Amino acid sequence: MKPYLPRIKCHAISLALAMALGGCAVQYTPVHLDLAPVAAAPARTLAQDTNVVFDTGYARQLKAGSSWKRVGALPQGDVYRPVDDIFMVQGSHNHEAYLIVRDGMLTGFYLPAEGGFSALGKPQALRFTPE
Amino acid sequence: MFKTQLCLIAAALALTGCAATGPKFAEQQSSTPKLSADKGRVYFYRKDSFVGGGLRPEIRLDGAVVGKSQPGGYFYVDATPGSHEAATSTEVENKLSFVVDKGETKYVRTKVSMGVLVGHVTPELVGSAEAQPELSELHYTGGDAK
Repeated sequence: MKPYLPRIKCHAISLALAMALGGCAVQYTPVHLDLAPVAAAPARTLAQDTNVVFDTGYARQLKAGSSWKRVGALPQGDVYRPVDDIFMVQGSHNHEAYLIVRDGMLTGFYLPAEGGFSALGKPQALRFTPE
Repeated sequence: MFKTQLCLIAAALALTGCAATGPKFAEQQSSTPKLSADKGRVYFYRKDSFVGGGLRPEIRLDGAVVGKSQPGGYFYVDATPGSHEAATSTEVENKLSFVVDKGETKYVRTKVSMGVLVGHVTPELVGSAEAQPELSELHYTGGDAK
């Protein structure tokens, strides 16, 4: 008896199902955040809308006028937490995330729940006021 | 013919369902206890929508069932400060990891999206400015959701 679906079609469907159900995970490495002294620095405001594009093609917009407060530092840069707002990155699951900025470039994200660093494949320029 | 009708009825039930009942947010707020200084509060809610109304998965916080994702419903949990993971399951498990500080309130919205065989219900963090107006339209399900 001839199989209902050719083998190649079964593989293609399996792959599509796995992709649809699985998605891509946010990759991160465990890091230790050196916390900044409380109220050490004033919050900084993002000067312009910035579209952050991940290696997977997933994109998030950082809004102009949003406030960010430095909460600590990692070897990869200073860590900024949103003020009176949240920021989230999405892989196969959702993660609360803070920005990691070094020399005016967004280098990645700190995942506070995991205590992890997730690198941005291609760092992007961020302009804050005050500079 | 009979099978087709059954499928249509099942599909209609899965797509619609009933919205949550219970006191509205403003009514419930007067009897909502103040957040204690050593805890954080997490609101879970789902906007009322026609699509996926029949999907009402349990919401787990750090592995324990704390309520259900119901269209038009909300509830809250007071949690210890630190890292937490919220999760819902239909044909796949969807998770959200976040932190709560002492005295902080976080908002987790569950959202229905297309799945392969069954819709997915995904927890996502929402800022206070976006969550507050959405919550005002919803009904408290904390008493009967567990």
